[in-house]
Amino acid sequence: MTDPNFERRLEELLASDRVSRRRFLGRTAGAGLAVGGLGAFLAACGGVEGTADDANTATVATASHPKEAIAAWTFANWPLYMEKKLLTDFDKEFGGKVKYVEEINDNYEFFSKVRQQLQNGQPIGRDIVVLTDYMAQRWVKDGYAEPIDKKNVPNAANLVENLQTIAYDPERSYTLPYQSGAVGIGYNIKKTGRELTSIDDFFDPEFKGRVTLFSEPYDAASTVLIQQGKDPEKATIDELLEAIEVISQANDDGQFRRFTGNDYTTDLTKGNAWVCMAYSGDLVQLESDNPDLRFAYPEQGAVRFTDNMMMPAKVEHPYAAETMMNYLYEPQVAAKLAAYVNYISPVDGIKEILEQTDPEIASNELIFPSDEVAANLKNYPQLTPAEERQMREAMAQVTGA
Amino acid sequence: MSLRRRRQLVPWLLIGPGLLWLAVFFAIPLANQLYVSLQTGDPETGYQFTWAFGTYTDAIADYQEQFLRSIGYAATATILCLVIGFPLAYYTAFKARPWMRNLILLLVILPFFVSSVLRTVSWQLILFDDGWIVARFRDLGLLGDDGRLLATRTAVIAGITYNFLPFMILPLYVSLERIDRRLVEAATDLYASRASAFRHVTLPLALPGIFAGSLLTFIPACGDFINAALLGTPRQSMIGNVIQSKFLFVQDYPTAAALSFILMTFILVGVALYARLLGTKTLTDSAV
Repeated sequence: MTDPNFERRLEELLASDRVSRRRFLGRTAGAGLAVGGLGAFLAACGGVEGTADDANTATVATASHPKEAIAAWTFANWPLYMEKKLLTDFDKEFGGKVKYVEEINDNYEFFSKVRQQLQNGQPIGRDIVVLTDYMAQRWVKDGYAEPIDKKNVPNAANLVENLQTIAYDPERSYTLPYQSGAVGIGYNIKKTGRELTSIDDFFDPEFKGRVTLFSEPYDAASTVLIQQGKDPEKATIDELLEAIEVISQANDDGQFRRFTGNDYTTDLTKGNAWVCMAYSGDLVQLESDNPDLRFAYPEQGAVRFTDNMMMPAKVEHPYAAETMMNYLYEPQVAAKLAAYVNYISPVDGIKEILEQTDPEIASNELIFPSDEVAANLKNYPQLTPAEERQMREAMAQVTGA
Repeated sequence: MSLRRRRQLVPWLLIGPGLLWLAVFFAIPLANQLYVSLQTGDPETGYQFTWAFGTYTDAIADYQEQFLRSIGYAATATILCLVIGFPLAYYTAFKARPWMRNLILLLVILPFFVSSVLRTVSWQLILFDDGWIVARFRDLGLLGDDGRLLATRTAVIAGITYNFLPFMILPLYVSLERIDRRLVEAATDLYASRASAFRHVTLPLALPGIFAGSLLTFIPACGDFINAALLGTPRQSMIGNVIQSKFLFVQDYPTAAALSFILMTFILVGVALYARLLGTKTLTDSAV
């Protein structure tokens, strides 16, 4: 390539083609299934020898990672989830060479891939991994995460207040949020004929057969719990199963067209579905393509998912990883990242920066929710792995698989 | 080593790589899968081998709906492939000029150059509710005003038919192309009508192709999950979707393995019956 910025341009092209991270996942999910299926099967074969790991339940921990020269190290993340220029800037400023791999397409698939090494107490060859709350919780509880040496991450003080504590990691000893998003209502106002504001709208008979929900119960069942006035983070497995039962009954009445992953965006943009359970970050892109598409944070509150940076147990380059975490928590850097990925940034003080550089993004409620909305964002339920499987099994019954 | 010894060794050298490949990538995984299917436990506390045959009966009881649906869809798609593919293969083998023949064969194979997932996704874009196809179907009265194609059984079966059509056409073409046209001439010389020449000469001679084509279509179609996932709803989910979800989503590996084995057993038995029905012996006899 004669153009050194080729890769960057390709990404811009993709971005301007409105392929956000989660949509990209939707498009590749099918391919992932075909390929991932085999991988997971092989992983499963390996995993059958696994034994119970006495969960390291200490959720508050400290660590000391002395300063050292940064050499080559590895950062594993989701596809289209990073402004790549920040990586080259990082290398320039701090030395070393970050190997950035976009290998996480699915929390479970990734976990299957590295589970064996984690269980055997071996390093997994990645220094930062980015995992969604429910998987991050599992790693913290099972002792698969290395505590963060806060001395190396002074910028962690910029973490927004409402994420400073989370049930599975109350002191943020192991995890640092990377980006968040909300599960809300994506809809086509031309088709619905009115603004939607409530979780009840998913169940409105007026839209029968024109609604899609997520097949992921962490998203779908939690949303129903919020509708019932419960806080998903404190929900029991029985309450979740009841919520799935509510979904099941509406499904039997033909309320839902499909249960989707990220591929709901096709149904929404093509007019097959009028009301979709949707991720806030996707709609930033979709709205700018089609002014009829809207996103609403439900008035009852919305589920917030957070992807977290963390270091795997036995991490080999903790200092490099922590330096990167610190770097990504500099407001100037975080602002660039937020402008690129369009999700909700966990770093305080970047709205002011973007008001100067990118006012359109700064004023977008999907990226910077109002205080009122932000106060109403709820975290995922806290489940044991056995409960989690029970929940997934119940949801699989509803989605027919 | 004597020449004789070396000669004895040759067959083993020839089949050696194939045997090794089959052992490593087929026999061992299959045995492992059987082993997994008879275990109980979960990923956290570990699995024990307990001869858990109950997993099999439970799996059949819980998912017979999806099993029957898979078989029904695969059978329908196979018949459709035969109905669509036979005339094309016939034309290509007997009527088409050589350049035309090459062009048709190229067009039949061409879709393989694109991933089947992508091709199926593009069906979503063809069949969408506000699209041209659905509008024409409504004009023709084939669909109600609120009718749809996407997320229906029709779409799933159509998708399977489309995806597996080449597997039907190619064997049909090969078996038709091998037929000695003079046999048909002889039949007509002996006062057979064109129809009865087709029925008594061409069709029996094409049976091996029909047999191979329908197996190549039916077997993978039974295990397909892409079409149901992308073009259907939960009401169209097939056994492949269940297996996929059990492995990746629910992480119930024993049930997933058991379901795979049940599917495999069913297909093996089905194929044996089918071969009997068509009669492989008469197949070979009729070709003489």
